[in-house]
Amino acid sequence: MALSLEELEAAIIEKATKSPKPQLYVKDFYKCDPDAKPRQIKNVANDLVKKGELMFWSSGSTTMYARPDRIKDEEGAEGIN
Amino acid sequence: MAKHETPLLDELEKGPWPSFVTDLKRQAETKPECWDILGQLELSYKDRITHWKHGGIVGVFGYGGGIVGRYSDVPAQFPGVEHFHTVRVAQPSGLYYTTENLRALMDLWEKYGSGVTNLHGSTGDMIFLGTRTENLEPLFWDLTHDLGQDLGGSGSNLRTPACCLGESRCEWSCYDTQEICNHLTQHYQDEIHRPAFPYKFKFKFSGCANDCVAAVARSDFSVVGTWKDQIQIDQAAVKAYLNGDEGYPVNGGAHKGGDWGPFDIQKEVFDLCPTQCMWMEGDELKIDDAECTRCMHCINVMPRALRPGKEKGASILMGAKAPILDGAQFSTLVIPFIEINKENDFEEVIDVIEKVWDWWMEVGKNRERVGETMQRVGLPTFLSVMEIEPLPQHVREPRSNPYVFWKEEEVPGGWDRDVKEFRKRHAA
Repeated sequence: MALSLEELEAAIIEKATKSPKPQLYVKDFYKCDPDAKPRQIKNVANDLVKKGELMFWSSGSTTMYARPDRIKDEEGAEGIN
Repeated sequence: MAKHETPLLDELEKGPWPSFVTDLKRQAETKPECWDILGQLELSYKDRITHWKHGGIVGVFGYGGGIVGRYSDVPAQFPGVEHFHTVRVAQPSGLYYTTENLRALMDLWEKYGSGVTNLHGSTGDMIFLGTRTENLEPLFWDLTHDLGQDLGGSGSNLRTPACCLGESRCEWSCYDTQEICNHLTQHYQDEIHRPAFPYKFKFKFSGCANDCVAAVARSDFSVVGTWKDQIQIDQAAVKAYLNGDEGYPVNGGAHKGGDWGPFDIQKEVFDLCPTQCMWMEGDELKIDDAECTRCMHCINVMPRALRPGKEKGASILMGAKAPILDGAQFSTLVIPFIEINKENDFEEVIDVIEKVWDWWMEVGKNRERVGETMQRVGLPTFLSVMEIEPLPQHVREPRSNPYVFWKEEEVPGGWDRDVKEFRKRHAA
């Protein structure tokens, strides 16, 4: 990884906050640190879910990531995973 | 008393086959929300469009899979299915359940859900159909704490690994399918419960080429038992089959209800052998094992005379999928033989899995199954990524493309080329 863990977390959060679409594939985060291996990026994104910075959004066949404050669930509540 | 008129669905009760409509009506006697499933489906038949909304953020804490959100888009009309989420429960290896466990699972689903189940979904999970969001966490707590069971995979996760019953009941199994299935399920908990990949990824483990879990048709990573050495032949039993002895029914007696006439080894075995590698010399059966593809057909027909060889392991095939985007495809043979060794925690298989994952996670497009990525880059590139030398078993048919693209390192002495100089003469 070219970035430190903290820098990578910040880059992922920024990407999830500023992307035009609220839901992102894990692959969309790869550019946050092109030198990091995809599995490292995946692990950091999943840790951000545990910390509440990101949440999972599932279509059933695909799982995506999103900032909780950018997603509303089908029941009208803000997304808290 | 029916809550909704369902004349279109009622038609489905008129055939000689079991009807899910009848089952749901019966279920509605104790679970009234089942009337709303029927009502909404009747409306879908009329409108010719689904009234389910798919996906969302439902799930249980810490998991990115295992629950598939379902909501009705006409909840005021059908409040019983306003939320109707699907819960995937990981199946035990080989699908063995005790009756006690099945009762406990059904009680759990009666308590928290609609009571409607699908055993088993195509990944192998037990599918519990229909519950509300507020029931998910209590259900998950009871499932994991009281029953010691877990949710399966969904989304872009590793899906719940599945296996045939293997050595527990089948003498043809060439490795312990349940052992490796369970081991890899534990080893890859993070990949099962949280998204990891461009799209779904499935392991299936079949003990032999009969492939009872349809690994070759349905899994991205198919591990199919095989052997390296010769098929074991009992010549006395071969004679008994040829003589039609009572204790030697063809196909293990599977078709003995019909009048098929006397056993014809030429027609029923040799002519159906895909490589034509079997023949009789006098009253002795001969097999050219170097030509045998280990398809199991002859062993299936004469199970008391023929058995898999003694040097057992598995073939690894990759890239099967159902027809969502590009059409269905079988998996492609990648490694003809690999040892399945529980003493070293299946290290050889894990090495292959992680090599293909590392490549696919980088190269695969979003929502692209590994088989589609393989097809996009071509088998030669894929084999080179996997560091596997091409083998005759990788070739489906002789080439028809006359162009051969050599890499510099493949040509003795290599070559020098100046791309800038070349481009002066040939613009890109």
